[in-house]
Amino acid sequence: MIRHTMAIDLDSCIGCHSCAVVCKQENNVGLGTFYSKVLTIGPNGTYPDLEMYYLPVACQHCENPQCVSVCPTGASYKRDDGVVLVDHSKCVGCQYCVMACPYGVRTYDEAKDKGVIEKCTLCAHLIDDGKDPACVRHCPGQARIFGDADDPESKVSKMIAAKTTHKLTDVGNKPSVTFGLDKCEWKGGE
Amino acid sequence: MAVQWPLLIFSVLLGASSGVLVFLGIGEIKGCFKRVRFPLALIALVLLAVGGCASALHLGHIDRALYILGNVSSGLSKELFAVGFTGIMTLVYVILSRKDYPSATRVFGLLAALGGLVLPLVAGASYMMPARPAWDSIALPLMYLGTGLGMGFVLAAAYVHFKGDEADEPFALKLALAGVLASAVVTLIYVVWVAVAPYPDPTRSLVRLAAGDLAPAFWLGVVLIGVMAPVVLMGLVWKRGGDAGASSKDAPVVAAVDGGGAAAAAPAAAGKVSVTTALWATLACLVVGSVVLRVIMYLVATSVEQLIY
Repeated sequence: MIRHTMAIDLDSCIGCHSCAVVCKQENNVGLGTFYSKVLTIGPNGTYPDLEMYYLPVACQHCENPQCVSVCPTGASYKRDDGVVLVDHSKCVGCQYCVMACPYGVRTYDEAKDKGVIEKCTLCAHLIDDGKDPACVRHCPGQARIFGDADDPESKVSKMIAAKTTHKLTDVGNKPSVTFGLDKCEWKGGE
Repeated sequence: MAVQWPLLIFSVLLGASSGVLVFLGIGEIKGCFKRVRFPLALIALVLLAVGGCASALHLGHIDRALYILGNVSSGLSKELFAVGFTGIMTLVYVILSRKDYPSATRVFGLLAALGGLVLPLVAGASYMMPARPAWDSIALPLMYLGTGLGMGFVLAAAYVHFKGDEADEPFALKLALAGVLASAVVTLIYVVWVAVAPYPDPTRSLVRLAAGDLAPAFWLGVVLIGVMAPVVLMGLVWKRGGDAGASSKDAPVVAAVDGGGAAAAAPAAAGKVSVTTALWATLACLVVGSVVLRVIMYLVATSVEQLIY
């Protein structure tokens, strides 16, 4: 069974925001709406010992997604390959999933497909076609790695094994996206 | 999180509706409030219906509203089932209370009261999410239930004094006092929860309530108008009722309230008012307090990590 996941090597992320831009282009994300963003963490420390890193954030495609369990219609669902999606034809726009998401990465869309919830799809339309998500393909630092978490020989599994890894704060949802960071002190989550 | 006004209005109205139903249910058990049960049950039904319509305004697709029954493990689906059950039981109770079927009326009165007891708990529980520490506690559904009992009991007691049997007034007053105390206690419990919730953050802290941007709303709306004024007013009404041996709708109440916000919220400060007027004033204070408490409930509901939104 394939378990799609993403790992992001924060030591390689240069904060260029290409992933956020290409995400909007690939998924036709409306004005004011974001599936993905790049946050600047820091600078931390005391001069001259300062450090800073960039944190690309989007849906964490959790193993136990709270957004799915609170969804009253079944519009929010998790596929067998681990990708969490929203079926817009079932979504009533109640926004309970927005409230239940610990990371503030879902939004109620009032622009593109009015009255439903928008979020990162992990470019499901591309990965079903055997391709990588757009943010992975266009990352100039090759910081984003996508693959099968259950395959120890996959690039993503090897990256996770090789680096000091972190996840965002886990309140029981078990986020699946892994962040690798060796050169700075991790400033949030687990 | 921004205040979700349709949901806020829904929760206040369903709370008041539930309180009225529980009040009438107790009346069915004790064999009293017969003269007012039809109008009060009708009021409860209207409050629930208006609240339900308000909550529908929160949806992006009202046309798909019945899809909400699609995932029974979701809190929102349970809430809709509870609203449906309570609404149907109340409707039947309204009809039967005009007919001469004492046993059936009693049964449906108790079923509606059961719905009234469960509905605020289910509605409050639907907000219990680990992502929002300020909500993730039984304190939230208890707050919904307690403030609902306060509003509903006082509303019903005021109506009993307005149009009901004089013999029912002392018991109605007892229930109103119990409701006001329940409302005060659950408010305190919820504030304590905000203070001790896990993943502490300045956006959901006691400091923000007591001395931050929410301090005016908290001290004036919740503490003074929502808790102190109703307790003081009910204390005075109770004292007057005790002095007279039994309460009377025309009995004057000396409202020597504290001269602060409570006085501003209650015209009783001007001197003497009737028990009925004091009860309506208490209800107004409870409604204001419940609304402000829920505004605060939304504003302190920040998630553990606000990343994009």
